[in-house]
Amino acid sequence: MRHVVRHLSAALLAGVSLAALAQAAAAQQRFECPRRGGDLIFALEARIATLDQHVNPASSRNVTMNIFETLVTRDENMNPLLDLAESVTPSADNAVYTFRIREGVTFHNGKALTSADVLASFQRYQRVGFDRSILEPVTRMEAPDARTFVITLREPRPTFLEAISSFTVPIVIIPAENADAPAQQLPIVGTGPFQFVDRVADTQIRIRRYDGYRPDTRHQQMLGFAGYRQACVDTVTFRMMPEAGARTAALEVGEVHGVEDLPTVAQRRLAGNPNIRISRLDHYALVVGYPNLSQAPTDNVLVRQAMQAALNMEEIMEAATDGAFRLNPSFQFPGQAYYTDAGGNLYNQRNQARARELLARSGYRGERVVLLTNREYSYMYNAALVMSEQLKAVGINAELLVLDWPAALQLSTTNAGWNFFYTGWTSVFAQGGAQSLRNLANPANVHRPPNNQSDDVFMAAFNDITRGATLDERRAAFARAQARAFDQVMAVPFGVMPKAQAVRANVEGFRPYYATRMSNVWIRN
Amino acid sequence: MAAPDAAVLEDRPARVPFWRGPTFRRLIHHRSFVIGAILVSIVLVTALIAPWLDLPDPNRLAIRFRFRPPSGEFLLGTDNLGRSMLSRVIWGGQLSLAIGLGVVLLNAVFGVTLGAAAGYFGKLDGPLMRFADALMAFPSVLLAIGIAAALGPSAMTAVIALAVVYIPRTARIVRASVLVVRELEFVQAARASGADDWRILRQHIMPNCMAPLIVQLSFVFAYAVLSEAVLSFLGLGAPPTTPSWGILIAEGRSYIREAAWLTIVPGVAIAITVFGLNLLGDGLRDVLDPRLRVEQG
Amino acid sequence: MGRYATKRLLQAIPILALVSLISFGIMKLVPGDPATVMAGPGANPADVENLRRTLGLDKPFLSQLVIFYVNLVQGDLGRSLMLGTPVTDAVIERTPATLAIAAYAMGLTVFFGLLAGVVAALRQNTWVDQIVSSIALIGVSLPNFWLGLVMIVLFSVQLGWLPTGGYVEFRTDPVGWLRTATMPALSLALLQIGLLARITRSTMLEVLRQDYIRTARAKGISEFRVIMRHAMANVMIPVVTVIGIILSVLISGSVVVETIFAIPGIGSLLGNAILRRDYPLIQGGLLFVATSLMVLNILIDLLYAYFDPRVRIDGSA
Repeated sequence: MRHVVRHLSAALLAGVSLAALAQAAAAQQRFECPRRGGDLIFALEARIATLDQHVNPASSRNVTMNIFETLVTRDENMNPLLDLAESVTPSADNAVYTFRIREGVTFHNGKALTSADVLASFQRYQRVGFDRSILEPVTRMEAPDARTFVITLREPRPTFLEAISSFTVPIVIIPAENADAPAQQLPIVGTGPFQFVDRVADTQIRIRRYDGYRPDTRHQQMLGFAGYRQACVDTVTFRMMPEAGARTAALEVGEVHGVEDLPTVAQRRLAGNPNIRISRLDHYALVVGYPNLSQAPTDNVLVRQAMQAALNMEEIMEAATDGAFRLNPSFQFPGQAYYTDAGGNLYNQRNQARARELLARSGYRGERVVLLTNREYSYMYNAALVMSEQLKAVGINAELLVLDWPAALQLSTTNAGWNFFYTGWTSVFAQGGAQSLRNLANPANVHRPPNNQSDDVFMAAFNDITRGATLDERRAAFARAQARAFDQVMAVPFGVMPKAQAVRANVEGFRPYYATRMSNVWIRN
Repeated sequence: MAAPDAAVLEDRPARVPFWRGPTFRRLIHHRSFVIGAILVSIVLVTALIAPWLDLPDPNRLAIRFRFRPPSGEFLLGTDNLGRSMLSRVIWGGQLSLAIGLGVVLLNAVFGVTLGAAAGYFGKLDGPLMRFADALMAFPSVLLAIGIAAALGPSAMTAVIALAVVYIPRTARIVRASVLVVRELEFVQAARASGADDWRILRQHIMPNCMAPLIVQLSFVFAYAVLSEAVLSFLGLGAPPTTPSWGILIAEGRSYIREAAWLTIVPGVAIAITVFGLNLLGDGLRDVLDPRLRVEQG
Repeated sequence: MGRYATKRLLQAIPILALVSLISFGIMKLVPGDPATVMAGPGANPADVENLRRTLGLDKPFLSQLVIFYVNLVQGDLGRSLMLGTPVTDAVIERTPATLAIAAYAMGLTVFFGLLAGVVAALRQNTWVDQIVSSIALIGVSLPNFWLGLVMIVLFSVQLGWLPTGGYVEFRTDPVGWLRTATMPALSLALLQIGLLARITRSTMLEVLRQDYIRTARAKGISEFRVIMRHAMANVMIPVVTVIGIILSVLISGSVVVETIFAIPGIGSLLGNAILRRDYPLIQGGLLFVATSLMVLNILIDLLYAYFDPRVRIDGSA
């Protein structure tokens, strides 16, 4: 089987999966829990309602990715990585993908994993999955034998593995008998190192070690949500504590072993505390805004370019994050396969003279520019607040419209009543190069281009990202698309927000990631 | 339950100006009332003259100066974006008090109209009071959040949401007074002499229902200031571009360990105001309507 | 009595019908829906639309309304969109915590409220009265969520006496329950203690002026006996009536307090449901809470009527 994997790596993900494999090989020593046992209490920021990971795009991943596994996932650097799949063999034209399922994997109910379960899981995802459009090119799925799963696509899609390995809303594998569960009512049975115990909605979820778990011995260490994983602690109790102050306090007094998301100011205060270990994921979310191309005056590209010229990203990010941020002239993060700074000369111009000049040429007559934001996500609100000051400084009649998140998001999907919307792309990156610009491409245009037809030049480049046969071709296409997005001001990246997580000093092996990972974490005596 | 106040009844025929009448004299000798009135006046006046106080713009961002603790330079410190807390708490008072007054105003208008209609016209009593009961069956905060979410964030939203919560309560108090006054001799006499309903309500009944109403409204004001803070805390009510005390607490709470003054200052402002209003209400009740027991929400 | 009870219960039915209509109407007006909430930032509009269909939110409003009432008649409150569980289960699961804390707060309220009110009344116009009355008044003037935040910093972080939040069930660990429930109960109770103390004080003052108290005192009965036997019995009547109101206020206050202290109660459940646009949960949950409160108030009125036959039994005032 190994040759198939290698073949795949060389042909498809040149330089991508190989890197992952090399990383795995480099870590010679296989991870073994230095100590087992204990209940690890971890405080989450979000209130998690259900654990139906097919349906939930939100923060439920913090829990579910310890319970469920997928066929293909991502490693630490967002590159595709085999998980429940032992191998995958694409056809020569990249239109048929044949997966071989790993042997000896059992569900938490004791049942052995077969391709029938995989098929049923994919079918449920097609029916209720949040991100079901990633399966849109699929014409046929079948399980010819217990360990083989075949997906046939309508047309060649070299990036198909990137799409289905995204852990935004992962296609987690569930037992076939649960696949009929309606949305939000999925019984929580997976194949991961932890199994579900119980939950109190919005309050607490408990998971415990699954004794029948068979670690993936192809690797020595945990990689992303896969690799060689072990449950060292007996149980994990996730407590949902949305109040940042209470969450931090609970960590300080030792009521919890760790917290997801430690506010910037608390990080500074706790930096010297010997009982607390803070770790930071430097690239967590891209703070993004996009203009409304259907509403005057942002329908005028010159007005948009004037706005772009006026922005000082350092000020905006400083306010948005209380001072912990990185500037980022790109729609990808540095180190990711598609990262490029093409068009980045238009980022963070801080050029008021140019803004005024563009404004004068645009014929702008002081029309209102409505900055639509919300207050649940204070980083978006603060970004909007500072941006409105910067726009006013060059003579733009900026006005803040602050709604609650659901209302703001709803309004942003209409063509009128707003000019600029703020959001954060976090898991967007997990979706891969093409996927991260998908929001600016037909048919799901967040920037409301007239007739819902995105810019032709951009679309040409975008289609090349999806269909480009080699990674280099796709990268080049991504750079073209990004440059066009900057030039036409289809979206404005402000900067990167880090995510800080913290644990008590006796918690070992905890490494921050896009969602909380409890495998290979142990509590020292 | 609430009887018309004797003092008010006695006042009428003599037509003595209020500030020379016995009620006023009793009020200014009532210690709670005086202290409450002074506290409320200070808060109201400070909020009113905010534009002339030569304060820094409460919304001016100065990130360099963020999280400055209270000091000579920044009397009440600065917030996470370097804005002056002194300015923000004073301007925030303007909004919080305006919302409170708006709720009081709506309560006065609709509480009186609906309460009088229900109390005076027997036919309206059943339907109106059932509707009031239905509104009062909701826990008040939940009803207010529901309405606030429906109307979208604005100061007006907070006013309407809180008014809807308290109007049924005010209406019930007015209705109770009207029920009593309606049966009094001079009202019966007026009716016998052929006066129309409107005239009887306006000239005879309403003036005698004022005492419990005024007391109730002073407490509504206090609750409205408190509840506005709750709505803002939950992210409803006025948008954060126009800070109210509740919004200041909501914004400051993430920094309660590192910059406690962001939470303490607006909280104390609310406490002083509500304390003053309660003292004022106590005084009014003692003087105007000692037997009244105000329903609270 | 039986007829009165039946009448009150029958009157409650149209009110509850109105309650359910009001909650439905509010939800129809609210912009945004559960799909937008679940989707979160960075969501792709097409995916949100899919999710909307998955959750059955694309059905017309009227048919949702009809479905709701048809199910309601069968005793089914529907299924929460966010939690995936039947609304009835969610509500029943969350009620004990709220009730336990409300009962605790009520206990604190009755004990301290009565005590403070009686002491202040007996020592009217002395420094004792002034201090007690001022504290009661301050209690009425503090926003309870603010108090909660300040208490966490003080008692949990600085002093380390109590946990910052969370909830332990009484039957699994009574001491743990006491530790987790104390701060929330206190922040809920302070306002009510102040109110009750003020009501008790004024009622007590009124009662002490009554002839029969003077007569009892004149007879040489000890002051303690006068207070406990004669005065308290009369003070209790208005107290019983406000208890219904207090309970409603406690449940109302629990929305914020449960959020701050991360308590799995009905207040935070419904508060979140509104913020997350979980329509079935809002409608069913509000109906449940309103019904419970209404039944409770009817019971209290019945008790009141039973103890104090002077009360006019006509459902008014």
